[in-house]
Amino acid sequence: MKRLWAPAWLLALLLVLAFMGSLAFGEVRLAPPEVLHVLMGRGEGLARTVVLDFRLPRALVGMAVGAGLAASGVLMQSFFRNPLASPGLLGVSTGGALGAVAALALGWASNSVFALPAASIAGAFLATFAVMALAKREASAEHLLLAGVALNALFGAATSFILNLTAGQFEVTGQIVFWMLGGLENRTWAHVWMVLPGTVLGCLLLLPFGRALNLLSLGEQGAQSLGVNVRQLQWEIIALSTILTALATAVGGVIGFVGLVVPHILRLGFGPDHRRLLPLSMIGGAAFVLACDLITRFLPGELRLGVVTALLGGPFFLWMLRRPA
Amino acid sequence: MIRAEAITLGTRLRDVSLHLPPSSLTAVVGPNGAGKSTLLLVLAGLLKAEGSIAWMGEDLNHITFPERGRRLAWVGQDLNADFAFPVRDVVAQGRHAFGDDGEFVDAAMRAMDIAHLADRSVTRLSGGERRRTFLARALATDAKIQLWDEPTANLDVRHSLDVLQLAMKLRDEGRAVLISLHDLRAALCFDQVLVLDQGRLAASGKPEAVLNPELIQKVFGVRARMGQEMILELP
Repeated sequence: MKRLWAPAWLLALLLVLAFMGSLAFGEVRLAPPEVLHVLMGRGEGLARTVVLDFRLPRALVGMAVGAGLAASGVLMQSFFRNPLASPGLLGVSTGGALGAVAALALGWASNSVFALPAASIAGAFLATFAVMALAKREASAEHLLLAGVALNALFGAATSFILNLTAGQFEVTGQIVFWMLGGLENRTWAHVWMVLPGTVLGCLLLLPFGRALNLLSLGEQGAQSLGVNVRQLQWEIIALSTILTALATAVGGVIGFVGLVVPHILRLGFGPDHRRLLPLSMIGGAAFVLACDLITRFLPGELRLGVVTALLGGPFFLWMLRRPA
Repeated sequence: MIRAEAITLGTRLRDVSLHLPPSSLTAVVGPNGAGKSTLLLVLAGLLKAEGSIAWMGEDLNHITFPERGRRLAWVGQDLNADFAFPVRDVVAQGRHAFGDDGEFVDAAMRAMDIAHLADRSVTRLSGGERRRTFLARALATDAKIQLWDEPTANLDVRHSLDVLQLAMKLRDEGRAVLISLHDLRAALCFDQVLVLDQGRLAASGKPEAVLNPELIQKVFGVRARMGQEMILELP
């Protein structure tokens, strides 16, 4: 496990830098000593309000979203034995999006802060259960994949339909589009409590899966012949990855490419061993989302986080496709 | 070691019964689509079928997954390698059900002549090297039952002979080894031959008794003629 530590320290350093950056930069620029001062319980006035009420919850939500999406990506890639798989593949993200859009269109979201995340989580689980039902019980990964493709199309169409229906209500349409582009603006401590405990618990539960995931990623039958209860492992993977994706989507909206790009870069750098890849992806995903969120603050206009991750991730994805194996 | 009674799986396997005693080397032969791979999957507990299967006298349904991993090793025909694991890590996966590593891994890599590839990624191996890697993973389990599906496919003549010789050595150590093959001449040096034809067991027994010209004509549709041939053996 000595090989884990060097890259882990490096990524943790990046994460700390991104974390400090997200507390320091924005419309009100604070010096790092000021930020540390506030974090240690001292400091006062504007700096204290900016850090504790606005930027700290935003950064914590961003870390949870990044870690959850990246871990979820690692799970999907191992499950489908395909380094290009990602959480959106099963229709989980679009299911979550549909739930949230429905909550916005029906006006639930304006009644309670919890309505939108709850609807999003319900949508994500609906998608997962639908995929499982469509793919039947003893389905192969290919069956699941195709069921996910069909559901993605269906949920996408339903979301567009709702968007059409609300075409006259500019405020609702604006909210829906704002949310579909993903972002961390105006996240509060309520959002932190919504996403952080579940994500931390999910990530901790995942860590012991490394060995079994290594076997699974080289073939289901081979893994089972070596003593892995593959059916059970696959259910656990699906459940945990749905929960992590749903939590992230519930508080951050649709943020693409994190689950694809982060594990892939780390795999290129540090190898495919899941005992290392899982913890590294969690740290790396958190750092990546914080860094992208920082970029949105420096670029002109109200650039959305989902747009930045897609602008960085899209070209990378195309480069991966062109690259010989 | 393995006893199977009346195994039936749709039309792919029909009423197949067999027994692999300890210290035995058994070949499964048959035309493409006869059900050889399916039979190996069912015997390995990787595919459910009607009928009963017992490993070492115990009903397969009562054996836990880790215990299955310790008792039986299976090597399939399709060897996935979509992730760049080093060869040694793949071979070490054979120890999963034991939770250790140790001397079995290195011995298995030496036996399969891949020790020099230990740090190479499995995605960068030739077809034959990859097969030897997955065979080494099965060897590393030290399992008493070994089921290999066409292990000599895409191996050169030297490594094919290595594999067959290794199978005999495992037999001499008291294990039950079952290998599916297309090479009927290689099957002649096994202890027992099972001939599958359209999911049915067409014949089983000593190779010299089973692999006669009439049966070969009937099952494979080719004429078999005994004559002089080139003999290849390891130095």
